[in-house]
Amino acid sequence: MTSVPPLLRLDGIVKSFPGVRALRGVSFDVRPGEVHALLGENGAGKSTLIKVMSGVHRPDEGRVEVDGRPVDFGSPQEAQAAGIAAIYQELLLFPELSVAENVFMGHAPRLSWGGIDWDQTRARTAEILQSLDIHDLDPDTPVGALSVGNRQRVEIAKALSMNARVLIMDEPTAALTEADVERLFGIVRRLRERGVGIIYISHRLVEIFDLADRVTVLRDGEYVGTHEVRDVTEPQLISMMVGRTIDQLYPHRTANPGKVVLEAKSVAYPGTVEEASLTLRAGEIVGLAGLVGSGRSELAQILFGVTPASAGQILVDGQPVTIRSPADAKRLGIAYVPEDRGTQGLIRPMRIRHNVSLAVLKELARFFFIDRGREQELARRDIERFKIRASSMDQVVGKLSGGNQQKVVLAKWLATRPRILILDEPTRGIDVGAKAEIHKIMSELAAQGMAVLMISSELPEVLGMSDRVLVMREGRIVAGFDRAEATQERIAAAMMRSAQQERAA
Amino acid sequence: MASAVAAPGHQDRYAGLKRHEVILLFVLIAAVAVLAFRSEQFLTTGNLLNQGRLLVEVGLMALPMTFIIITGGIDLSVGSIMGLCAILLGVFWQKLGLPLGAAIALALVVGALAGFVNGWFITRVGVPPLIMTLATLALYRGLAEGISQARSVRGYPDWFFGLGQGELWGVPTQLWLLLFFFVISAIVLTYTTFGRSLYAIGNNEVAARFSGIPVDGIKIAIYTMSGLMAGLAAWVFVSRVSTTRSDMGTGLELDVITAVVLGGTSIFGGTGTILGTALGVVLIQLLKNGLALSGVKGDGTIVVIGVILILSILVSDLLRRQRGAEH
Repeated sequence: MTSVPPLLRLDGIVKSFPGVRALRGVSFDVRPGEVHALLGENGAGKSTLIKVMSGVHRPDEGRVEVDGRPVDFGSPQEAQAAGIAAIYQELLLFPELSVAENVFMGHAPRLSWGGIDWDQTRARTAEILQSLDIHDLDPDTPVGALSVGNRQRVEIAKALSMNARVLIMDEPTAALTEADVERLFGIVRRLRERGVGIIYISHRLVEIFDLADRVTVLRDGEYVGTHEVRDVTEPQLISMMVGRTIDQLYPHRTANPGKVVLEAKSVAYPGTVEEASLTLRAGEIVGLAGLVGSGRSELAQILFGVTPASAGQILVDGQPVTIRSPADAKRLGIAYVPEDRGTQGLIRPMRIRHNVSLAVLKELARFFFIDRGREQELARRDIERFKIRASSMDQVVGKLSGGNQQKVVLAKWLATRPRILILDEPTRGIDVGAKAEIHKIMSELAAQGMAVLMISSELPEVLGMSDRVLVMREGRIVAGFDRAEATQERIAAAMMRSAQQERAA
Repeated sequence: MASAVAAPGHQDRYAGLKRHEVILLFVLIAAVAVLAFRSEQFLTTGNLLNQGRLLVEVGLMALPMTFIIITGGIDLSVGSIMGLCAILLGVFWQKLGLPLGAAIALALVVGALAGFVNGWFITRVGVPPLIMTLATLALYRGLAEGISQARSVRGYPDWFFGLGQGELWGVPTQLWLLLFFFVISAIVLTYTTFGRSLYAIGNNEVAARFSGIPVDGIKIAIYTMSGLMAGLAAWVFVSRVSTTRSDMGTGLELDVITAVVLGGTSIFGGTGTILGTALGVVLIQLLKNGLALSGVKGDGTIVVIGVILILSILVSDLLRRQRGAEH
């Protein structure tokens, strides 16, 4: 095995973006006929690394070699020509075009006079699909009519049509159903037998043990190590990923739930949320899990009045209330830290001081006049309380790192002294240190009696932080678990379609 | 992190001088110097006060226009609202026989209403401000012409001309009015929650909404203000020229918007000051006057104003980028 020269080799890759060092000396290689998993938390640098491999980014330092020869990709086209293809999380297909047209987009077989040879295109598409053991996909079907699993197969076929020898798959199972995951694994194994080198990115450890030959772990842009999968255990991988064990990662806290402060009864919003019900008690953290598109953020935005409920009832402290705008929600003591910091949470060109006061301008004002002294006092206190790393309260928020930006959003909302705090992906895309700090703040808030609803796509976070876990699927709350009975498997099963969970719920 | 040490305005000793308003002030001084050299009549108290009289209508409308452009919007209909209010003022008084005071008040109400209609459609129906006010630019002008039937209204009583032609402590009366609203607007924009909300909306409307700021209400308020100020400008204008015609204020929206943008308010929203707008208004008026006095024809004046507008935007953009690169 080791004597086989790698198809693709990266050595000492460094890549920086303004304000972040995304990769600091990462090495990686993939050999023919192996599945090499790339593992790391959000923000560890996985995406940047695969973008370097596939020619989207040029590394600042380090070498990229294909078949032992140094290369310098200036564009994804050059990488493709060298036999490297990437399949990203969001599939880049043209929904109006047929399977065959998508597969051969840009490199269709030509007739002698230069026109596209449609018969050839269809025949070769069918051939590639056959070779992948895919028999239920008609080359003439428009891609828009296909399921997510089938679209992904089209992407794989497209990569193979360009004679890809290295295939990069970025979280390919993130949006797939159980059955589609099984079929994907079948295809990946088939490709491996054919000598394709596969780089497989996922943070689902089970998949890695199932599929991969080797695994490389990244943490905060640094290379942690590469191991044969059969030589490592799950806890070892986790501690490599996070730098400590799960027990240390999340603050310990005994929940002491008080009375119900928020209750949603069959709230709905057309197209996204159907009859979702939940209760939230003072002093507890409730995790809301679900796949992307299951309606979690949409439910939060109903509760916060961004998109007022079209049906159902919301009760605060047992009293029915009408929430038709964020201002209504704010008055009722509800705060919402949105998923999309840049567009929904912050006014990035404005200063820290002006951001943290935004939700409490009225309270800071005397006869419409903003009390600048109190505003500065608030900013100073928040910077200290949340350990916001900034040169001063006059710093423009857009210049802060992701974690510090998130702390500013949190500070802005905690200034309203809410009793109900809804956090939507509170630690997405921020570094491990800031993440731990935000978790600590959440625990403190709950201990002080705040009701916290946390939406998260990271199951370890959901498990580590929540007193109760609710699972949403297709616009409904489909399952609920107490801390004691919640496991990664049970939550994941409820997120996907699973008959037993349906009955249990 | 190290790159974030230099906060804006802390390290750069000349940051204050690089503000758009300061640059504009220098441009203004330079322009006055050049023009004074070209024509003896230019730099006289009499001429300058008279120019002050002439810029009041544009000035009044430029104040709420600054608010609107800071939020990322625009109001193209102000010239037409002014025309409509001017005609209605005359018609209410002469044709309907209302007391002149009531006619003025009613014309102001119509101006506010016309602005409210803009604001309502922009926020509730979601029509882009450019399209909505382009439509009402035509609509309000059409109404004004329909109502006037191409006839002008004249013969106002003497007291009515006090505002537009009289003086108070040696200064044209309407200039005091403008000064009053200038100070109010500057205070509102700089020190109040309302002013802060305008900047927030202009920089990120979604985040402003998510922060519980009543974005729609604020927008309706500023378009209504814009209509009201156009009504006020109509009153000042009729009082100054002694007559009412339906084509009054045609094309004035361009002068107003030019003054605001020249004053450093970004057409993309988020930045701008009332002081800058005031300097913009004065600069444009003095250029028009000075160039006319030194024998430049009307077309030439417009060309010069256009060039100055482009230059001022280039310079301030350059400085902003330079400042951006420092940290």
